[in-house]
Amino acid sequence: MGTEEEAVSLWTTGFCIGVTLGAYLLSRRLARRYPSPLTTPVFFSATLIILILAQSGLRTADYEPAQRIMVFLLGPATVSLAVPLYKNRQTLLRNTLPALLGLGVGSLVTLGAALLLARILGLPEVIRASISIKSVTAPIAVELAPIIHGSQPLTVAFVIATGMIGTMLGPWLMTITGIHDPLSRGLALGTISHGQGTAQAVSEGELQGAAAGIAMGLAAIFTSCIAPVVVPMLR
Amino acid sequence: MKLMAVLLAQVLALLLINQAGYAVVSVLHLPVPGNLLGMLFLLILLVTGVVPLRWIEASASLLIRHLAFFFIPIAVGLMAFGELFLDNGLAILLTLVVSAAVGIWVSGLSAQRLGAWGRRKKP
Repeated sequence: MGTEEEAVSLWTTGFCIGVTLGAYLLSRRLARRYPSPLTTPVFFSATLIILILAQSGLRTADYEPAQRIMVFLLGPATVSLAVPLYKNRQTLLRNTLPALLGLGVGSLVTLGAALLLARILGLPEVIRASISIKSVTAPIAVELAPIIHGSQPLTVAFVIATGMIGTMLGPWLMTITGIHDPLSRGLALGTISHGQGTAQAVSEGELQGAAAGIAMGLAAIFTSCIAPVVVPMLR
Repeated sequence: MKLMAVLLAQVLALLLINQAGYAVVSVLHLPVPGNLLGMLFLLILLVTGVVPLRWIEASASLLIRHLAFFFIPIAVGLMAFGELFLDNGLAILLTLVVSAAVGIWVSGLSAQRLGAWGRRKKP
């Protein structure tokens, strides 16, 4: 009986990994040919996989072993984020004060605003905790989520949505409010919209890109340190 | 073949640094993510020159390029949250848009103001 169950789950796990890899490869192709928020790899692939799992009569629990295997390399990938920080260190050293102030205040304000709004709008507690860290780069946010009693999948969804919103809204918002300084523009994009914001900032220019890369890393560190204290207070 | 071996060795090194981060977090009971500490460890190793960039650069850039992949399996967990999303969709969207907009504005403006003030002080 036990072995039979294991054999089935092994097959299921193989199927889940295959479907996930396939969806990812397909989404990368699609995103290159038809760039749009709908073809973003995570959004497109996750939607496709959920549909396939539902069609095959599989549940979240059946997918879990496959998930654990596939996220194994997330840790080393996060550690790799030290490389862009290291490469852009000169930009930080030349502009230490404005950079630290901008990313610190921005991180604090966006976290506070999200928590307050979520509370006013009456969102459930698990959403409030998860939404508070939506500006933290995803690999760190998913590890931070359980510490502040948030949910990992919800956090991923909010982080990615925030990446898109900031990238679409940010450059325009800063232009109409007179924020033209390249360092400040990159800093704001990286602080609020992490990796996606950094990619956008790179397209604006080299200094913007470097500032965003630094802001993404340091804002994640800053928010990781304050969230465990602030979130339980405001939640 | 040689490239594969190099990449594998580099990933193992990054994995080791990551494990060190988790070990320190669990020993000292720090309320921060272990992988964040791992990232700081690598940054310190790079800045102090203990680890030259070229030792880990190839696999680091490969992992960063495919960073999005790792969030797909996690996002599939949203399957269990379908109803929660449908019930609260508008409130969630409003919270995300407003908090992002305010954050970007405050962050950019404060950096720009302080930068301008600094340049005036020492021309």
